[in-house]
Amino acid sequence: MEIYLPIAGMSINFFLILGIGGVVGFLSGLFGVGGGFLLTPLMMMIGIPPAVAAASDSNQIVAAASSGAFAHWRLGNVDFKMGLVILAGGIFGGTIGVQLVKVLRAAGNFEFVMKVVYVLMLGLVGGAMFMESLRTILRSRKQDPGAEGTTVSEHKLGKLFAKMPLKMNFHRSGLHTSAIFPFSIGTIVGIMAALLGVGGGFIMVPAMIYIIGMPTIAAIGTDLFQIVLTSANVTLQQAMVNKTVDLLLALILLFGSTIGAQFGAIAGKRLKGEQIRILLAIIVLALTVKLFLDLVITPSDLVSLAPAKGGGH
Amino acid sequence: MKRILPLFIILGLVCLWGAPAVAITPEAKQKVVTAASKNLIEIGLSYRGDQIHFFGVNPAPGTDLIIKLTAEKDEEIKFSVKGKVGPFWMTVKQYDVTGAPFMYKIHASKPIKEIVSEATAQELELGYPAIRHKMKMHLSRGDAAPEDADKVFQGMLKIKERANLYNIVEDPARLQVEEGKLFKHYFRFPPAATEGRYQVESFCFQKGQLVGYGKDIIEIKKVGLESWLTETSQNQPVFFGIMAVLIAMGAGLLVGVIFRKGGHH
Repeated sequence: MEIYLPIAGMSINFFLILGIGGVVGFLSGLFGVGGGFLLTPLMMMIGIPPAVAAASDSNQIVAAASSGAFAHWRLGNVDFKMGLVILAGGIFGGTIGVQLVKVLRAAGNFEFVMKVVYVLMLGLVGGAMFMESLRTILRSRKQDPGAEGTTVSEHKLGKLFAKMPLKMNFHRSGLHTSAIFPFSIGTIVGIMAALLGVGGGFIMVPAMIYIIGMPTIAAIGTDLFQIVLTSANVTLQQAMVNKTVDLLLALILLFGSTIGAQFGAIAGKRLKGEQIRILLAIIVLALTVKLFLDLVITPSDLVSLAPAKGGGH
Repeated sequence: MKRILPLFIILGLVCLWGAPAVAITPEAKQKVVTAASKNLIEIGLSYRGDQIHFFGVNPAPGTDLIIKLTAEKDEEIKFSVKGKVGPFWMTVKQYDVTGAPFMYKIHASKPIKEIVSEATAQELELGYPAIRHKMKMHLSRGDAAPEDADKVFQGMLKIKERANLYNIVEDPARLQVEEGKLFKHYFRFPPAATEGRYQVESFCFQKGQLVGYGKDIIEIKKVGLESWLTETSQNQPVFFGIMAVLIAMGAGLLVGVIFRKGGHH
């Protein structure tokens, strides 16, 4: 069954998009990550123009994150104050990011920059996760009792930022720290959200836990809360500046990913934490290699269409 | 000024007289009666391209036929040319190309160069060399190289042919002529053919001279939801963005509520 995507301007198999949404949803249910970082490259592989892929994924993330954020809000896991400071950074960064996309598209190197940032980030995250989970698996084989319950030591950066001005009390997280840090993390993630069409949870959550020092559950809840608003801002900006949000594409992806996420959550209960993490690390690393090869292997077409002025057809 | 004016007129007349050939005006030739199976293609939700059959009557039996499908408007396209920078392949220059049709298809009863002279082909824009001649390239970024013109033209043909927007078929089997008089064939409009007006021109040649001409107009337009989404996203981007966000939030909350009832948490 073919469906015509109005903004992408192409006819594509409905079940292919639904399937990709489903697979990414399954993985995000399994791993507890947003999955946006997998979705954008996959969309590009099936021929969706990169700028449309990124913008439509942001739109899809609004939906995916809002259902999670709603659940966490009811359980009292959202630190609104922290969320709003990060959000302020996120909106600032998102606005910069969208303008950056505009400049890069005009220069014709948007796809290149996007892939380089992806390779760097996925390589870093995938590599670190792979090493960490492998170590855990090896350690549990040896049954080393001393390895149980890794203590989260306060990060040096965290201490440094605790001394910075603009101190604030974050009751829900039980923290008294400078607002500059969550703001700048929000800015960086906001830029990436626009550039890559990702929610940024896979960077934000570790940063909130290990660097800011928030409790894990509050970090996840707060992260989802700010993702809803950050990606809502990116979606709006993309719609206004680049006109590349394909609502139809986003809705099909959403439909697929919600179904997939339910199955992913069920599968997740049957696997151990470190097994899940090493699996995710392998997927991320495989994707990194694929994207890296795209950058260095001689392309089949040396001449390609550059996006027209003012956005998509 | 009064003295100069007659001079200009004489000069103009000399130029006209000295012109190599009198321009061919296809509309002045005998009309070829043609018909299309339909003149409007609607892009709906399940659009996957369309096919239109064309029929026509040869003014004289045994004439050679060339039928050309083009978009009414020429396209302004930007092409990125990739090059190696260190170990990476990235865009190193950009060309703005004007004068190339968005869509270009030809059906001919035999190879074009056996039907018409190069000059006539160029004038009537028949065949890829004629497109190449008409197309203009302007370097907008990077350093020009002599082989670029050819590279960009070949790259464009490859992209267009892959999208099934360009092709040239010089085969009597594809352009059937019944008893030398009634001809029929079909053009396929791929999904990449966007909204707009397209023209199908039928040229009849006898010994390289144009003897008949017919023209059909095909319009492609988005309808229903497709049309509304496109119009709204381009003309009311703020409203479209807010709507996209609200629909996504609503869908997300709805999903959350549905699955909670299913006893997931």
